[in-house]
Amino acid sequence: MAGHASVLEDGSALSRLDRALLRLERVLALISGLAVFALMLLAVVSVGGRNTMNAPLPGYVDWIEQAMPLIAFMGIAFVQREGGHIRMDLFIGRLQGRALWLFELISVLLILGLMILLVWGSWAHFLRAFDMNAPLWSRDSSIDIGIPLWPAKLLAPVAFSVLCLRLVLQVWGYGRAFLLGLDAPVAVPLIQDVAAQAAAEAEQLAGHDNG
Amino acid sequence: MDSIEIGLWVTGGLLVLVLVGMRVAFAAALAGLVGLIWIFWSKKGYDPEDFGWALTVAVKTAGQVPHSKVASQALSLIPTFILIGYLAYYAGLTRALFEAAKRWMAWVPGGLAVSTVFATAGFAAVSGASVATSAVFARIAIPEMLAIGYNKRFAAGVVAAAGTLASLIPPSAILVIYAIIVEQDVGKLLLAGFVPGAFSAVIYVALIVGIAVVFKSVGPPVTGFTWRQRFASLPGALPIVFVVVIIIFFVYNPFGGDAWGTPTEGGALGAFVVFCMAVLRGMKWAEFKSALLETAKLTVMIFTIIWGVLIYVRFLGFADLPGAFSDWITSLAMSPMLILICILLAYAVLGMFMDAIGMLLLTLPVVYPAVMALNGGEAVSAADSAFGMSGPMCAIWFGILVVKMAEFCLITPPIGLNCFVVAGVRPDLSVQDVFRGVMPFFVADAVTIGLLVAFPQIVLWLPTLAG
Amino acid sequence: GATEWNVSVWGKRRAFTEHVEKLAELVSEKTGGSFTLNVSYGGLSKPRENLDGISIGAFEMAQFCAGYHADKNRAITVLELPFLGVNTLAEEVAVSNAVYAHPAAQKEMAQWNAKLLMTSPMPQYNLVGTGSPRDELAEFEGMRVRATGGLGAAFAAVGGVPTSVPATEAYNAMESGVVDTVAFAQHAHLSFGTINKADWWTANLNPGTVNCPVVVNIDAYEALSDDERAALDSSIDEAIDHYLTNYGTLLKKWDDVLAEKGVEKVMISDEVLEEFRAKVAGPISAKWVEDMTAQGLPGQELLDLVHATLKSARGS
Ligand code: NA
Ligand code: NA
Repeated sequence: MAGHASVLEDGSALSRLDRALLRLERVLALISGLAVFALMLLAVVSVGGRNTMNAPLPGYVDWIEQAMPLIAFMGIAFVQREGGHIRMDLFIGRLQGRALWLFELISVLLILGLMILLVWGSWAHFLRAFDMNAPLWSRDSSIDIGIPLWPAKLLAPVAFSVLCLRLVLQVWGYGRAFLLGLDAPVAVPLIQDVAAQAAAEAEQLAGHDNG
Repeated sequence: MDSIEIGLWVTGGLLVLVLVGMRVAFAAALAGLVGLIWIFWSKKGYDPEDFGWALTVAVKTAGQVPHSKVASQALSLIPTFILIGYLAYYAGLTRALFEAAKRWMAWVPGGLAVSTVFATAGFAAVSGASVATSAVFARIAIPEMLAIGYNKRFAAGVVAAAGTLASLIPPSAILVIYAIIVEQDVGKLLLAGFVPGAFSAVIYVALIVGIAVVFKSVGPPVTGFTWRQRFASLPGALPIVFVVVIIIFFVYNPFGGDAWGTPTEGGALGAFVVFCMAVLRGMKWAEFKSALLETAKLTVMIFTIIWGVLIYVRFLGFADLPGAFSDWITSLAMSPMLILICILLAYAVLGMFMDAIGMLLLTLPVVYPAVMALNGGEAVSAADSAFGMSGPMCAIWFGILVVKMAEFCLITPPIGLNCFVVAGVRPDLSVQDVFRGVMPFFVADAVTIGLLVAFPQIVLWLPTLAG
Repeated sequence: GATEWNVSVWGKRRAFTEHVEKLAELVSEKTGGSFTLNVSYGGLSKPRENLDGISIGAFEMAQFCAGYHADKNRAITVLELPFLGVNTLAEEVAVSNAVYAHPAAQKEMAQWNAKLLMTSPMPQYNLVGTGSPRDELAEFEGMRVRATGGLGAAFAAVGGVPTSVPATEAYNAMESGVVDTVAFAQHAHLSFGTINKADWWTANLNPGTVNCPVVVNIDAYEALSDDERAALDSSIDEAIDHYLTNYGTLLKKWDDVLAEKGVEKVMISDEVLEEFRAKVAGPISAKWVEDMTAQGLPGQELLDLVHATLKSARGS
């Protein structure tokens, strides 16, 4: 399973676009992380309020359900950039050169097609909960305390659109590598061999070992 | 073509996509979407004029799934469990645990390896992910074992195997995922993981002691710690105990009184305690930020698989494949126990090639209803059942068995993620070394699984107590 | 050719889905098997997205509850207002039918390409609780109650503290003191185990209930042959009768369960109920009418319709 991979950089237009998009992706991923932290605080407030003042957080479950899409979607393009979405690289790991780039190209093209359709589908899901003429623009709200659901539903097409941009860059990167027969193309995650990959993973933890 | 056939073709296509290396989440979503289009179009007799309609309905049906499935209170346990693990690491809890385990346990034969297993089991009680657990202990425990002359393959095998405990002993991301797929009480499942997790640890320890007694060279005991030193090591490990107590008491009060809250709250409070610890130990903003980013990355990866696979599962619902499979399984002229064992063996084979979460998400929607039907249905009483337990208990028991199988696949070649990680941490160890070192633990795991199958009480005792 | 409809419900087969199962049986019988309903328990959609699925056209029939997405079906939420005074399942059927037949409700559903077919009559959401029974208004002050949406608001109006707990965690929440009381219909008190923790049950508080219609996709309904449509339409009353009979036996069992578990059946006095209605039903209904009117719906008319129907159902 490919976890971490490295992405090469240079001064080309493609690589500059890659890094520009990366800045956005990183912010979105950090938002995901902060939302996890907020989730934790929410529970502390709810339990604390209940036990000290008989005042549980109204709509605790509703708020969790609002926070979950933030956690689950916002980092999706960042993970794709890093090559972090799990796959079996038993087969593809044995390919090299043009054959490898061709398989990667087909794979990202399929994902791009899928995600464009899912942007459409999740946008339609959002529209069914959204009404310009309704109070708070809401045509669908949470069961308990009636928070409008459209903002949470909007997160899916937004995050998926950013992923589509990332996939376009990867189509470009792999397509270029395939046409030119490159060894080490920029702006796409490269498969590391297993040892290098695990070392990278371990290094990440090692960097912060204060135990 | 009827819907079952469409279901089988699409499933075959999905396997091909996964095998040629398409990212699992997207392969599953794509297969599901194509399957939905196919099935809706077939309803209209493949009339070319109706293709647009079928495409629209399929895309809108699939487009609901990501938000609808992810906005779930039960799934919120996963990110909190992952955050706990990362924060515990930054809070220095890992090293403190190993130190305490060493001072108390290292006097037995194979003492350091035994201490490693106990410390890992302790860390498992705050960490929800196996791979991270192995990575951490490879850095802390292997050097100490090598320093006193351990066989390096054996040392590596201990760490790789012990890491798998993290997914049985709660908190466990993978148990939560199982509970969600099969719609069972998350709290009861987490509770059910405790005893089998501890049981697995004890069997690992027995194996190590046995090996150390027979082959004196494998792992000498470490003696000479004073009682004062032993007790001095405890405060550092206390926060872990505190977190464990919180999580247990929020699920079930072992003293027979009221539980303190719900599992969701317990997980979040546990994370909060560890966060406070980490802040007290001087965690900086940069470290906090990277803990958040790492949590986000792992969480997003898991959730993408979840909604991707659930698009495929939605298609399976329209194709009615789970129903057909379960009818087929129950019609087999074999004893239910034999069928169950075949299913577990199939998991062992599949697990050689797949990662744990992907494997469970892909197979459970079809396999779980079949196993439940085999036992006599969701509402069967213990007396009328094939496995001698009620429907809800069977769901828990099978969950623990499947998760144990999924953990087993983390240490089996050719794709054993824990072994890769251990080899990656230690430049002097090749992946083959680790696989060879971990092999004795296959025996331990086989024994554990056999005992869990033969004596379901090991799994069901605690959840039964909790009512 | 044969017509096959997919029906999206959720959970397991239970009293709450018996009318759908009966409908499937009757329709198939009457058409000699050429029109069948495939009832799927959760495989096709999440409960909260069943109306979405109907509007997309993913399946032809579905069940949902009005409170799952009040903004999408504002008109029928009148049936979930607290203390309407509905006492029996037959009355629940009568008021539901009246509201479903109202043009405002039908027009709103038509936006989702949905036609209201029949209701799933639910008993009143009475409370189970621990400790000494709460049968005076003052005792609801500070009571932590598992009740969502409008019902939660109703208890809040008398000083209760509505607490969000998913139904599956309700038992846990009661055991741990997260809540003091839980509001459910009888079958849910049984299946979520809250009755096992209870000391008492309010037999006649009747604070309100949920309204869960079964709807069909309009395009699919219109595409049926005349015979098929006749088979469907003519089976509805029989399906509802079957549901009521079946729920009736469950309610008989309920009394045995109460006796067996030693749960006290609390009867609340008429004065207290009157106090309750004055404090809760009046203001909340008025607020509802005001909101609906502001959004261009005939709120007062719908509320009056409910009361009038109740009156005539009781023959008074
Ligand atoms: Na764990
Ligand atoms: Na494996």
